[in-house]
Amino acid sequence: MSALLSVNGYSLDYRTHRGTLRVLDNVTLEIAPGEVLGLVGESGSGKSTLAYAIMRDLPRNAREISGEISFAGEDLRRLDAPSLARLRGRRVGMVFQDPSASLNPTLTLGSQLAETISRHRGLARDAAWREGVEALARVELNAPDAIMRRYPHEVSGGEKQRVVIATAFACKPELVIFDEPTTALDVITGARILDLFRKLRAETGVAGLYISHDLALVSRIADRVAVIKSGKIVETEPADTIFAEPRAAYTRTLVDAVPRPQRRLVADRPGERKLIDLVGVSVRYGRPRLLGRQDTFGARNVSLDVKTGEILGIVGESGSGKSTLARAMTGLARFDGEIRFGGQRIAGPAEMDKSYRAAVQIVFQHPDASLNPRHRIGDILARPLALYGGAQSEIPRLLEQVRLPAYYAQRYPHQLSGGEKQRVAIARAFAARPALVICDEVTAALDVSVQASVIELLLALRRTHGTAYAFITHDLNLVRQIAHRIAVMRRSVLVDLRDADSIDAADADPYTRELIAACPVPVGEDERP
Amino acid sequence: MTELIRRLLRTPQGAVGAAILVLLLVICLFGALIAPEDPEKMNVLARFRAPDLNNWLGSDQFGRDTLSRLLVGARGTVPLALAATLLGTLSGAVIGTASAYLGGRADEAIMRSIDAVMAIPGLLLTLLVSSTLGKGSLNAMLAIAVAFAPGMARVTRSVALTVRRQDYVNAAIARGEGSAWIVLREMLPNVAAPVVIETTIRVAFAVMLFATLSFLGLGAQPPASEWGLMVSEARRFLHQAPWMIVAPGVAIALTAIGFNLLGDGLRDALNPRDER
Repeated sequence: MSALLSVNGYSLDYRTHRGTLRVLDNVTLEIAPGEVLGLVGESGSGKSTLAYAIMRDLPRNAREISGEISFAGEDLRRLDAPSLARLRGRRVGMVFQDPSASLNPTLTLGSQLAETISRHRGLARDAAWREGVEALARVELNAPDAIMRRYPHEVSGGEKQRVVIATAFACKPELVIFDEPTTALDVITGARILDLFRKLRAETGVAGLYISHDLALVSRIADRVAVIKSGKIVETEPADTIFAEPRAAYTRTLVDAVPRPQRRLVADRPGERKLIDLVGVSVRYGRPRLLGRQDTFGARNVSLDVKTGEILGIVGESGSGKSTLARAMTGLARFDGEIRFGGQRIAGPAEMDKSYRAAVQIVFQHPDASLNPRHRIGDILARPLALYGGAQSEIPRLLEQVRLPAYYAQRYPHQLSGGEKQRVAIARAFAARPALVICDEVTAALDVSVQASVIELLLALRRTHGTAYAFITHDLNLVRQIAHRIAVMRRSVLVDLRDADSIDAADADPYTRELIAACPVPVGEDERP
Repeated sequence: MTELIRRLLRTPQGAVGAAILVLLLVICLFGALIAPEDPEKMNVLARFRAPDLNNWLGSDQFGRDTLSRLLVGARGTVPLALAATLLGTLSGAVIGTASAYLGGRADEAIMRSIDAVMAIPGLLLTLLVSSTLGKGSLNAMLAIAVAFAPGMARVTRSVALTVRRQDYVNAAIARGEGSAWIVLREMLPNVAAPVVIETTIRVAFAVMLFATLSFLGLGAQPPASEWGLMVSEARRFLHQAPWMIVAPGVAIALTAIGFNLLGDGLRDALNPRDER
């Protein structure tokens, strides 16, 4: 057989205390030498488990039921520990999702890279170090010498991921497994990492298994794409055709859920009156030092307004200050300048009274973190009612409003799925009968199809209550579907603020155009001219 | 609550710990009724008697029955040690959580004061407090609570700092909750795991500290049959009558093990996320 990696009828169970859970069900796939196979699925579909099964690093409660995994003709399930150690890192490389978690923070980047090289290629320490410098140069890092001597916290996320990729490629592996390598990075950095992977692939002819939930990314990088749903491979097709003409119903649902900037979801116009007006708002981080202050700006002199019933999109890469703005508006950060709201002039968190706090609500990115794990859903929803006025008997109605059954009030957050938790967070915001809801990357942690339903819910709530949204996101495609105006932030400064339909106009800020270019074209559409 | 107990008993540690502690509870409540003899009845003819059918655990230098003294002494030992630990750890936990919540200068001030208190050795601090307040079991309890609070505050603060950054705390601040609510209802339940574990470990320390205080004449006074006091009295007869020190020693150890196992079980049962 010519396949480099072949998985044949592989099934795997996790034993939990509630019984066994089938995670992979009769999975069959093949990767030819030099081929890149994309594996697409939502969270919990078993795609990462498959990667760990190939790397032979399964959790202890995993039980392999049947099937085989063979790599270059060898059955991986039969290999003993020493032969596996020779295989991992050397013939099969792996790139994980979060580069800051996959690098040891107490070792320099160079020593981690050199260790891999000297272990697998038997080089002496200084020879391995020299190889390491070359490997870093190959992943297009400037000043590889200096980077080798730095610690992980001293370089950016994109640079870290490049070092991880350099490590994976350093021993010239035959197969590299990518587990969501760009998910933790912002759009522009992620796009550059993808370009790098394409280049390395052309140079080395490596085969790849590229795991992602992002259809557009996978279709740009893979030769063939396998779609996985609850442990079963739904279909495997060439990347050119799978999303353009999906055959399986599930693939079609996935494709339909992808946001497309051309398909507007909001048709009405916002009101004329300014609801909230930020005038020269700056947020400084940093504490007084012994000698003077050393300040970094989280936001610098930002002026923008949100009109009644308007959806204002705020976009930018990570660290651009868009969340800082949300923190200032909700009284979580001190700021200079002022916020004007309904005749009030607010100069700091202490001046935000109950009516302001009720009117301006926030929904955070991770529903896991924003719902107290020790409180029941009912208690969580009861707090805004108790603070801003409202009867506890409203809780069933609040849950119903976000399309959750009333008996969920008795549950704890961990008993709910990610999408359901985010609905609870939205219900909590709407319990205060707000005029403005700040949505801070509310869909970033959710799967594509769940994301679409959450957006749809937010728009439905807006139709009923006439609420304005400040929609903070890095997903330009999504925000172009719903926002009336889009504000672009970069390095703490507002660089662009314009109507959503003229965001790709020629007079837009160069950075705005760069963002649009980095944004993946939605799958199932022709490349942008 | 019944749900919590069910989950607790499902773990082997929790079940064993709970069994030991139920036994202790029975002894604390009915020890005086079960005891075969009066714990203070002296018998000159039966001094230093090795364990036999009359005195199951032997007798001491005055011929008093060790088993009876143990059974009766439980009431003077376990509840006080438990109360001292709970008081100390709980106040420490609240201080630590509040310090983490306030942050900045307030945090600095609170933690440096705690450092200053911790610079005084625990036993010395306990001695200082109990000699200021006067002799007696209740004052000894307060002294131990004061000695325990700073350490607990440090442990709790380190966990609370992580909790402080969670978005549910931010959400509470953004909706204008009061500080007391945030510290007690939002943050404290989420730092419970290390607090519970520390508490159960410290119960054993508290028993020993009581013994030390009693030995120095500041805690329980003879002829009380407090376990620590029994250990310190038996020390002199270690070679002559080892059972005198073994019996209360084993009782203290069993108490400690019981609380530790219960702590392990509670840690798992208290974690709503843990569904294994």
